[in-house]
Amino acid sequence: MSRTVIVGLAGLLGAVALFLFTATQHLAISAWPSVLFGPEEPGLDGIILQYGLLPRAGVAIIAGAALGLSGALLQQLLRNPIADPSTLGISAGAQLAIVVATLFFPQILDGNRTIVALSGAGAAAAIVFALGWRTSFEPVTMVVSGMLVGVTAVALSSALTLAQGEYLMSLVTWNGGSLSQQDWSVFNALSLELVVSLVFCALVMRPLVLLGLGDASAQSLGINLRGVRLAVAVIATALAGFVAANVGLIGFVGLAAAAFVRGCGIRKPTAVLALSPLAGALFLWICDGAVQAVSGATGETFPTGAVTALIGGPILLWLLPKVRAARPTTASHFIVRRIRFSKGISGLLAFLPVIILLAFFVGNDGQKWTLLSYADAAELSSLRWPRFLAAAGAGGLLALTGAILQRMTGNPMASPEVIGVSGGAGLGFAASLTFFPAGGPYSLVFGAALGGLAAMSIVLGLARRQNFPPEKLLLAGIAVSSLSSSVLAVLMAAGDQKAWQILAWIGGSASAATPATAVFLASASIFVLLAAMLMVRWLTLLPLGQATAHSLGVPIMSSRVLMLALCGLATGMASVLVGPLSFVGLIAPHIVVRAGFVGTKEHLVSSFVLGALIMGFADFGARTMTFPYELPLGLFAAMVGAPYLVWLVGRR
Amino acid sequence: MGELMSETDDSAEMQDVSHAFVASNLGYTIDGVEILSNVSLNFPSGEMAALVGHNGSGKSSLLKILARQLSPTSGSVLHEGRDLKSYHNRSFARSVAYLPQDLSAGSDMTIRELVSCGRYPWHGALGRFSDLDRDKVEAAILATHLEAFADRVVGTLSGGERQRAWIAMLIAQDARCLLLDEPTAALDIAHQVEVLSLVRRLAHEAGISVVIVLHDINMAARFCDRIHALKSGRVVASDKPEAILVPDRLRSIYGINMAVVTAPDLSYRLAYPL
Repeated sequence: MSRTVIVGLAGLLGAVALFLFTATQHLAISAWPSVLFGPEEPGLDGIILQYGLLPRAGVAIIAGAALGLSGALLQQLLRNPIADPSTLGISAGAQLAIVVATLFFPQILDGNRTIVALSGAGAAAAIVFALGWRTSFEPVTMVVSGMLVGVTAVALSSALTLAQGEYLMSLVTWNGGSLSQQDWSVFNALSLELVVSLVFCALVMRPLVLLGLGDASAQSLGINLRGVRLAVAVIATALAGFVAANVGLIGFVGLAAAAFVRGCGIRKPTAVLALSPLAGALFLWICDGAVQAVSGATGETFPTGAVTALIGGPILLWLLPKVRAARPTTASHFIVRRIRFSKGISGLLAFLPVIILLAFFVGNDGQKWTLLSYADAAELSSLRWPRFLAAAGAGGLLALTGAILQRMTGNPMASPEVIGVSGGAGLGFAASLTFFPAGGPYSLVFGAALGGLAAMSIVLGLARRQNFPPEKLLLAGIAVSSLSSSVLAVLMAAGDQKAWQILAWIGGSASAATPATAVFLASASIFVLLAAMLMVRWLTLLPLGQATAHSLGVPIMSSRVLMLALCGLATGMASVLVGPLSFVGLIAPHIVVRAGFVGTKEHLVSSFVLGALIMGFADFGARTMTFPYELPLGLFAAMVGAPYLVWLVGRR
Repeated sequence: MGELMSETDDSAEMQDVSHAFVASNLGYTIDGVEILSNVSLNFPSGEMAALVGHNGSGKSSLLKILARQLSPTSGSVLHEGRDLKSYHNRSFARSVAYLPQDLSAGSDMTIRELVSCGRYPWHGALGRFSDLDRDKVEAAILATHLEAFADRVVGTLSGGERQRAWIAMLIAQDARCLLLDEPTAALDIAHQVEVLSLVRRLAHEAGISVVIVLHDINMAARFCDRIHALKSGRVVASDKPEAILVPDRLRSIYGINMAVVTAPDLSYRLAYPL
C-alpha cells in the first residue's frame, strides 16, 4: 500500500509540475490570488488562467476519472483485464453518432450532444455485448468484436468526413480528443454526470464484486446476473458517452488506469474500482500537461486523446500475456456439405463474366444507369482495366492471406485486417508521406509494405515469447492496429495536406491504379498464390493444433515465420490500394468454407478467387454508387463485410 | 521401414533399441517452480508403460518432454540410444508419435483426411503422397475398425470414435513409440476399455512401445506392463502393476489411505480409497 501511495504522490507531483510549467508561462504564481479572488478585472493572462487553463485541468481530471471508472467497471464486469470503452468500441460508437448527427441532423445535435453521443455509445455497447453473450463474455471474443465494431465505426466516420469535405475538419480534431476549454461549463456538466454515476456505481458495487467469482457462483449466491450486468454496463457506457460528448474520443485511459493500479500490486476488486478513477484522473492530467508543455515549446498542437492512445497501445500489448486465453469455442463447430472442387470453382468463376460486364460495360452518369455500347466500352477500357485488375489482385491477395492466417493460427477470426498488418501498412504509408513527401507512389507502396512487415515482426516477436498461441497473436495484432490508427489520428489532427491523403488512404481507392501498378499487383498475387501452394501440407496440419503439428515433424517456428513473412508482404502490397479496412481477408475464406471448399488446397484457391471477385465488384460499386464522387474501395467492401462479421461472431 | 507395426526396424542399425526412452536426471522448472526434479526412468522397448500420479504431479510434463513438446531445464533423454535433441523434426516424428490431451481441432476433416495427416513425417511438405502412404492410411483405419466411418467428418463422431480416429492417425505415422496424454479422460467406461484394449493390442502385437498418462490407477494396472508414479515432480514408484497395487505404495503415491481387493472372477487386483 505504501508503494501505491508513493507512486500516486509522484504522479500528482508530476501533474502539478506540468500544470504549473504551462500556467506560469502566462502568469507568475504570485499574481494568482489577485486574479482568482481579487476584485479587479483580470488581464488577458488572467482570463487564460481562469477560463482556459484551470477548467482544462479540471476537465482532464474529471474526464480521466470517468474513463478510469468506466474501464474498471467493464473489466470487473467482463473479468477481462483489457476491457475499456475504447477496446470495446463504445467510444467509437459515440464518435460515429456525433459525426452522423453533425452531417445529417445538425438541428438535433444542438443542445443534445450528450444524448446523441450516449445513444451512439449505447448502440455500440449493445452490439458488442450481444455478440459476447453467446460465448458468455469470453474476453478475447469480446475485445475482438469490440475492436471490429470500433474499427467499423471509425472507418464510417472517416469515410463520411471524406465525402463531405472541408467543414468537417473540426470533427477530425474532435475525433482526436482535445481538452481545450473556454469556460467552466464542460467541467460543471461532466462533474455532475460523474457524481451521479458514482452514486449508481456505489449501489451495484457489492454484487459487482461477487460477479468476479464467475457466473455460476454469483448466481448461486442469489445475484440477479442479468440485472447487475445491465446496470454496470449502462453506467460504464454512460460514463464513456459523457466524456465523448464533452471532449471527444480519448482512448485507453480506463485500460491504463486499471493497469497502473494493478501494477502497484493492488488485487482486491473494490480497491481497484476505487483507485482506478484516481489513476485515470492523474494519467489524463499528466498526458494533457505534457501535451500543453510540448505544444507550448514547439507551437504544434495535437489532441490529448491521441497521446493517451499512443501510451495505451503499448500498455495493451504489455497486458496481453495476462489475459486469460480461453480456447476458441469449437463445440458449436459447423459441419458443411463438401462440394466437388471442379464444380465449386466453376460455380465461382461463373460470376466472372458478370463482374467483367459490370466493370467494363455499365456506367452511371449521375442520373441513370447505362449500358455502354461496345465502342464506348472499348474506348473506356484503357481507363477501367487497370483499376479492375488492381482491385481484383488486391482482393485475391487479402483473401489468400486471410485463409493462410486462419489455418495457421487455427483461429477463425484471424485476417490481415485484424492481425495488424494493415495497421502497420498504414503507419508505413504515413511515414513515407511524412519523411519523403516528394517520393511519389512507389515510395508509398514501399513504405506500406515495409510497415506491414514491421507490424508483422512486432506481433511475431511479442507472440514468440508466448510460443504463438493464436489468441494472443490476434490480440497483439489488434493492439498494433489501434496504435497505428492513433498515430494516424495524430497526423490527421495536425491538419495539413497530409491529413487528406491519409484520410483518402484509410478509405482506399482504386482510381489511383496505373497500368504498371495493376500488372504488378496482379502478378504479385499469382506469385503469392503459387508460393502458398507449396505450403499446403503445413496448412493442413497446423489447424490440428501446435502439439500435433509439432509431433508430426512440422518445423513450427520456421514454417510460421515463412508464412507470416509472405502474409506481411502480400498485405502490405494490397493495402496500399485498398486501404486498411476491407474485411475481404476475413470474409472470403469464411464464405468458401461454408460453401463446401473444405480441403486445404481448395480453400486457398477458392478464397483467392472469391476475394478477387469481391474486390472487382467492389471497385464497380465504389465507382458508380455515388457518381460523380467515388466511394473508397475498402469502405464499399467493408459495408458488405461488417454485417456479415457481426452475424458470424453472433452465431459462434 | 518395415510393414505396418512391424517389430523389425532396419533404419536403426547403430542404435540401442532395447529402450524406447531413457530419461536421466530430468528437471523442469517454470518461473522458478519445480515441475519435475531429478527424474530418471527407463522405458524398455515394446512395453506399455503408464504414468500415474495426482493432478500437478508432473506426469503430463514428463510425457511432453519425451515427445519433445517441452525442453527439460536439466538432464537428458535418450530415444533408442540417441539424445532427443539430436533428432530432426521429421525423423523424430517417424519414430515417436504423440497424442495431445486436447483433440478439439481438426473436426472439419474426414477420418481418412485426418489419418492421412499422419503420413507427413514420411512425405514432408512437398513430397508425393505415394501408394505406400495410401496403404498405410487404409491399414491404420482397418486396425482401428473405423472403415465404416472413413468418409465421415470427425466433428460428427462420438467421443470414443474420435479418439480412435486420432489413434489411427498415430498408427499411420508408423512410429515405434506412442506417447498418449490421457486418451481416456473424456470417455465413458466402455469407451475407455475399448481405447485401452486397442492400444494394448498395438503394443503387444506390433511391438510398439507405449507411454500413456492415465488418471485411473486400476485402468493402468489392468492394461499396462509397468507403472511409473510421480508425486510433486519426483518418481515415487516404478514397478510392475502388481507391485504397485499395495496399500503402502498407493498411499505414498496419492497421499491418502487406499485398500486393494481381489475379486474371484478377476485376474488383476483393484484399488479403492478408504
